[in-house]
Amino acid sequence: MVLPVIAVENIRKTFRLSREQRRERGGVARGATVDAVAGVSFTCQPGRIFSLLGPNGAGKTTTLRLIATMLRPTAGSIRVGGHDALAHPERVRRVLGFLTGSTRLYDRLSPDELVRYHADLHGVPRAQYQQRRDEIFARLGMEGFARQRIGKLSTGMKQKVSIARTLIHDPEVLVLDEATAGLDVVASRGIVELIRGAKERGKTVLFSTHRMGEASQLSDDLAIIHEGRLLFSGAYADFTRDMRTASLEDEFIRIVEEARA
Amino acid sequence: MSTIFTVFRKELLDTWRDRRTIVFMVIIPLLLFPVLFKIMFTVQESQADKERAKTLRVACLAPEGTAQRLVEMLRGGEGIEVVADVPRDSIMAFTRDGRLDGAFVVADDFDATLSELGPGRIDFYYKSTDDQGIARARLRKIADAFEEALLVERFEGLGWKRNIVEGVDLRTHNLASTQEQIGKQVGGFLPYIFVIFCFMGSMYPAIDLGAGEKERGTLETLLTAPVNRFHILLGKFGVIVLSGLVSAVVSIGGLYIGVRQSREIPDEFFAMVTRILGVDTILIVLSLLLPLTVFFAGVLLSISLTARGFKEAQSMISPLNIAVIIPAILGMLPGIELNAVTALVPVLNVSLATKEIIAGTIRAPDLALVYASLVVFAVLGLWGATLWFRRESTIFRS
Repeated sequence: MVLPVIAVENIRKTFRLSREQRRERGGVARGATVDAVAGVSFTCQPGRIFSLLGPNGAGKTTTLRLIATMLRPTAGSIRVGGHDALAHPERVRRVLGFLTGSTRLYDRLSPDELVRYHADLHGVPRAQYQQRRDEIFARLGMEGFARQRIGKLSTGMKQKVSIARTLIHDPEVLVLDEATAGLDVVASRGIVELIRGAKERGKTVLFSTHRMGEASQLSDDLAIIHEGRLLFSGAYADFTRDMRTASLEDEFIRIVEEARA
Repeated sequence: MSTIFTVFRKELLDTWRDRRTIVFMVIIPLLLFPVLFKIMFTVQESQADKERAKTLRVACLAPEGTAQRLVEMLRGGEGIEVVADVPRDSIMAFTRDGRLDGAFVVADDFDATLSELGPGRIDFYYKSTDDQGIARARLRKIADAFEEALLVERFEGLGWKRNIVEGVDLRTHNLASTQEQIGKQVGGFLPYIFVIFCFMGSMYPAIDLGAGEKERGTLETLLTAPVNRFHILLGKFGVIVLSGLVSAVVSIGGLYIGVRQSREIPDEFFAMVTRILGVDTILIVLSLLLPLTVFFAGVLLSISLTARGFKEAQSMISPLNIAVIIPAILGMLPGIELNAVTALVPVLNVSLATKEIIAGTIRAPDLALVYASLVVFAVLGLWGATLWFRRESTIFRS
């Protein structure tokens, strides 16, 4: 039996509502909490692409942040690459590459400086760094702007820098949180190629998205999350086989609306 | 350790390339004093020159007799024009509206009072606001010379010596050394500069490395690196502390340039100050500033991390300037001494201790207490920032 690269078991994440959030919810009492993730379990198998779908506020970002050890779960367990995320968060981060659509870069650094910084943080040895850097920069066509300030680069160029930064330590697992959000078709293609390329190299990818086209193109496995709970988790092939509507998008909407009702 | 250095090196590079930080850390501290002194002394000097060169229009209403000698003395004064025929009831109005620079009105019974050995009354009208009293001083000098001439005549007439009215020949001898005197004067001002610029220099890097990084979304990426959060914090801390210290040192450089270019300050005084402010004194003062800056960095970074963005952090931190300025000013006031209580108050203790160090009158137990207090506050600052940096609700607040 092949061990999963990511194993999420019954995780819960409870947040205390801020004063602003309490006001928005009509004067909820002080100390009130909300479960952003409520008992979520799933596994990602090695070398496969797992997509996490859900409407806004469903708990996708929180789930991915829990897996990336940026947040600690209130309950449940997470293992990534065989490491317990609670006991050894640094070991988990060592095997993980994380990219979000909202992440910006350090405008005052050059791509070279930024990628080097992340390589150093991940403890990439100097000799390996140069080889990886040259390979990634060549693959993404970044040599032409490697020494320019990031603040002066176009969105597409910045996207390439983000990808290079994510890949420089050659992570076993890629976690992408709505990485194509706000990008145009060309820049989004870069992310899609990143995911495909990672799979070809035997890496495991977990990504969240709003774009059903991307999910249908890339997914080996899929989960749908709504209000912190999973409505579906399984192989993409199984999901499409049992669909009651014509497309992934229609089926997604049907499932979410059924849950709301 | 290497992680701390990696973060430190990157943050330093990033900070060094930020124009706002450089303006607050280097440009303002370096240029403030030379520019301020230049403007101040130039304006003051040109105003004083103008006043000195100005022909003063004076009225002197004096009855016949001795008082006419005052009119003559005024006429003989350099740059003085005695205006005749000014009506008595217009004297005040003319002086107020500037038609006259001054006026003397001698009492009608002036001679009668003098003959009884009394003081003859003279009213002197002038309007002094921003001319540094130069016009008044010039006219007063003539009036004083007139009085002195009358007194000499009076004493001669009585067969007395001029100094008969001086009961005591008081000769004062200040036994405080020059270093002590200068230390208490200059030493009150220098720590104020050190502390203020130290705080100002730390402020922008703290905002940028905390709230700025949150706003840019780069902090999230940084937290996915396999490094201890405390090490990330220490790397950021190092840059904030260094910026504060650099700013303080640069401000002293700026002050040095400002003083050096100023003709108002005598060379001997300047040479004395530079002799007193030796390398050892500067190093001791910097050693006091180091823990104080760590404390500042802790407070600033904690606030910066709780803010949603750069602007919010700026508006939260700005009022803190007052909290730093007040104890720094208190340290400049005479009568507030370094003791077991004031040695425990951050900022005030650095201010007072620096004053004592420059004057060469610092006592070892007081200095030890200041260090102990500063180290405790520095640890508290670092601990506070660490707590905030570990709080998920702070880091991911948006």
